[in-house]
Amino acid sequence: MKKWMKLMPFWAPGLLLYALFFIYPTLTGFYYSFTDWDGLSPSYRYIGFDNYAAVSQDIVFHKSLVNNLKFMAAILLSQTVISLLLALRLTRQSKAIVALRALYFLPTVLSSVSVGFIWTFIYDPTLGSLNALLERVGLSTWAQNWLGDSAIAIFSVAAVQAWAHIGQMVILFVAGLQSIPKELLESARLDGAGRFSLFFRITWPLLAPAAAIVVSYTTIQSFKAFDLVFTMTGGGPAYSTEILSTYIYGSAFLSYTFGKAATASVFFLALISIITFLQFRLLRTDRISY
Amino acid sequence: MLLNWLSRLLLAAFAALILAPLAIVVITAFKTRPEFYADPLSLPASWTFHNFAALFDGQPMWAYFRNSVVVTVFSVAAELLIAGCVAYAIMRSGKRMAGALFALFAAGLMVPSHVNMIPLYSLLQKLGWSNSLTALVLVTVSVLLPLSVFMLSGFMKTLPRELLEAGEIDGAGHWTTLVRIVFPLCAPFLAATAAFLFVIVWNDLLFPMLLINGKDKLTLPLALLRFRGEYITDYPLLLTGVVVTAAPMVVLFVFLQRYFISGALAGSLKG
Amino acid sequence: MKSIFKLSKIALVIAAALLVTVLAACGSGNGLGNSANNNDSGGAAGETKQAGSGVKDPVTISFLHWRGEDQAVLDVIIDKFEQEHAGIHVETQVFPSDQYQSTVQAKLIDGSVGDVFTSFPGAQFEAIAKAGLFADLSGESFVSAYEPALIEAGQKDGKQLALPYQLVYNIPIYNVALFEQHGIEVPKDWDGFLAAAEKLKAAGLTPIAFAGADIGPGQFMNPMVMNNAPDEQIFAKLQAGEAKLTDEWWVKTLTQFKELNDNGYFQKDALGTKADAANALFIQEKAAILASGSYQLAGNKASNPNLRQKLLAPITVPADQAVFEGIHTTTFMLAVNSKSKHPEEAKLFIEFLSRKDIAAEYANGTGQNVTVKDVDYTSEELKVVSEWTTKKTRFQPRFTITNTEVQEAVLSSIQAVLGGTEPQKAAEEAQAIVDQQIGK
Repeated sequence: MKKWMKLMPFWAPGLLLYALFFIYPTLTGFYYSFTDWDGLSPSYRYIGFDNYAAVSQDIVFHKSLVNNLKFMAAILLSQTVISLLLALRLTRQSKAIVALRALYFLPTVLSSVSVGFIWTFIYDPTLGSLNALLERVGLSTWAQNWLGDSAIAIFSVAAVQAWAHIGQMVILFVAGLQSIPKELLESARLDGAGRFSLFFRITWPLLAPAAAIVVSYTTIQSFKAFDLVFTMTGGGPAYSTEILSTYIYGSAFLSYTFGKAATASVFFLALISIITFLQFRLLRTDRISY
Repeated sequence: MLLNWLSRLLLAAFAALILAPLAIVVITAFKTRPEFYADPLSLPASWTFHNFAALFDGQPMWAYFRNSVVVTVFSVAAELLIAGCVAYAIMRSGKRMAGALFALFAAGLMVPSHVNMIPLYSLLQKLGWSNSLTALVLVTVSVLLPLSVFMLSGFMKTLPRELLEAGEIDGAGHWTTLVRIVFPLCAPFLAATAAFLFVIVWNDLLFPMLLINGKDKLTLPLALLRFRGEYITDYPLLLTGVVVTAAPMVVLFVFLQRYFISGALAGSLKG
Repeated sequence: MKSIFKLSKIALVIAAALLVTVLAACGSGNGLGNSANNNDSGGAAGETKQAGSGVKDPVTISFLHWRGEDQAVLDVIIDKFEQEHAGIHVETQVFPSDQYQSTVQAKLIDGSVGDVFTSFPGAQFEAIAKAGLFADLSGESFVSAYEPALIEAGQKDGKQLALPYQLVYNIPIYNVALFEQHGIEVPKDWDGFLAAAEKLKAAGLTPIAFAGADIGPGQFMNPMVMNNAPDEQIFAKLQAGEAKLTDEWWVKTLTQFKELNDNGYFQKDALGTKADAANALFIQEKAAILASGSYQLAGNKASNPNLRQKLLAPITVPADQAVFEGIHTTTFMLAVNSKSKHPEEAKLFIEFLSRKDIAAEYANGTGQNVTVKDVDYTSEELKVVSEWTTKKTRFQPRFTITNTEVQEAVLSSIQAVLGGTEPQKAAEEAQAIVDQQIGK
């Protein structure tokens, strides 16, 4: 207990701020999930689990859940694999490599609203450059109605999310890779380990903490991705890019059913917890998950 | 050999993929609206700064810029200090306490901000803190705690235990350990986290939108919103705004990237 | 690995304990917070209260709205207002309409901002009215400055809660020169409309530029449905469960959307097209009709000064069965926050905006028609629109859907049809969502 007290000056200020400006408003928000508050009126009624029943049966909620899982899978796969492949090539410190890392990171410094604008143009079927480009290089059959075809719209948005965040993940992986002691790799190489066995025996296990951060950050981002969907498709066409965060936004601020929005948030939270838990299990990164 | 060429190809292709859309944005910032509508991909007839002039003419862009800088710098600095301390406490606490603290903060990562937005706003009203940049900084710091605690404690876990324990044997207190050993060793991690946070805070729209009312206190992204109309959007002007907002971050990143790399070299973890 | 569940239980206990502490702190911390605020606003430029000797304290009122494109014009008007009313300062805050909804909600509740604010008709108006945030404007003298028929959208239970300021016709714009060039008269029935579109298509033009990705369905559905369901209460009945989207009126509307789409009368990939791209097609005269609304006239003209534009509505029935000629909306509804600390000053500002000459300045400056009586329009576009005041138009059906999720379902059924779903099936899917919404 003495240890605990001694450390208090370290965690107390953070916890206090966090409790006041995050936990308290969040719990208040969740409290509304048991009410029929519209987000505006001074009064509301306590309605027990009615919202939970309503949301769990809601057709649009189901659609957004399925879309969100698709979105997550697409981003998780593309973002993690591509950024790892890139990072493996970017650990050295030559001028060119430093410049490349900076370049890849570039989209990250743009706000997601701007990124949404940029890609809306590129995807645009009449004014856009992507289809025009594909036609010019003789791949016109690849041209798509990127955001207008409800079968692929969610993946088009996912590609943008990956575009914007791969650079960030590269940086994280590079940091992880650079922290691997060179002697370890060197001695393994002297023992005659090949490129692939070197990666799977030494690099990957030591990269686990970085990978865990990348994977869980990516997952959570894929659920929180709001600005991008909001600016690019607004959830359409016909609900095909509606994800949980846009559903929550819509029910809180467009439909004036704040109670339902709070309820959806509880489901949202439960879902992310489960997925994150499974991920940690899968990656077996006991060292970081406590 | 083949693998080498393949990976070079991958690096080049991805570089092109990043650059092309950004090039379109920069080019568009120099075009007039009719030019843009006529052909969104063409080069502007003349490379003049008319959109930039219009942007800086109409409003106190420098004041917005200053507000953004103030909010971002103070938020990130406070964030690193506060979250760094929490992460340190997590690292040094017993298993139970560490687990509880970490779980409590990490849980915040999962909360969608639309839930706490309205209660947060009314809380600040009750505290009488509406339209204050100080409140914005405090809220930003609090809201980002889950992310930064998560990142920093992940990083700190990789520090060699022996070093800390060696310090303890020498009789160093927690503050000394933190300032003399942990922070220097963590410099690259702190820089990486700072880079993350800088971007997030600089571009944040939700909380400034919620908490700032006065014209004199707008941050850049908030000011940019004014260029979007209900039905008409002046895209060249809007994209000029995007360029102006992003430029300082790009410059800063180049700088941070260097710092980040030299820090990573200096803070070698050989122990 | 330790069980995460056990740990989160601990976390929950801590959180609960903290909550209690914080709640206690909030109760006692109020004084502290307030004093902090005083210090804070002491340094702020806008709201500083100068300790004037005997002079009446200056008052700052806040004006919240969503039309960023009007800001320059409004700034000039506000300057004039401040000159006339020394001691009142108007601080404007603009959010684009999509963000407007979310922030205005939080900000109006406590009355600290938005002394004067604007509201959309329909769902937002209903919600704000229910929350009691509209100050009643019924008896105010400036109400009489408006066309009585055009301010009904701001009335509820016999009270004038908000004053619609803008008048918009949500019907397509057409390129007069292109119509003349190809010898096309404004069609009077559905066959005529299809024939006109066919002629334009044969001439290598895009007949209709349609922003299917965003505003298109919400705008174009109005003239499409107005004569298929001439009952102005149709969407009220839908929400009451007395009418269904699977009924003939809506399935027919969807089928007609499908007809336009299948015949290639919209531009390619219409569903992926946003408003700006659709506008660009029309501005460049690649498209002859733009399925948006009169609000777009001025913007088009600014981008292409050679355009000659007029409005037309598709008549989806034989000419003799057509009840309505077009659609109007009165929006940008001015209101005073009932929680405002300066209601008198706020009303003075609305009174100022309601004056004929100021409304004219707003209208001519922004290219938007207004609901104020006897306003002189100077631009050609505004005159084109004012011709429509004598025609038989009906209030925008979409805004009579007061449940946003029902509205979303209705619009989504249009997008689904354009994406290839059969009209009957799209209607059924949308009706299922409607049933769920009205079932509660």
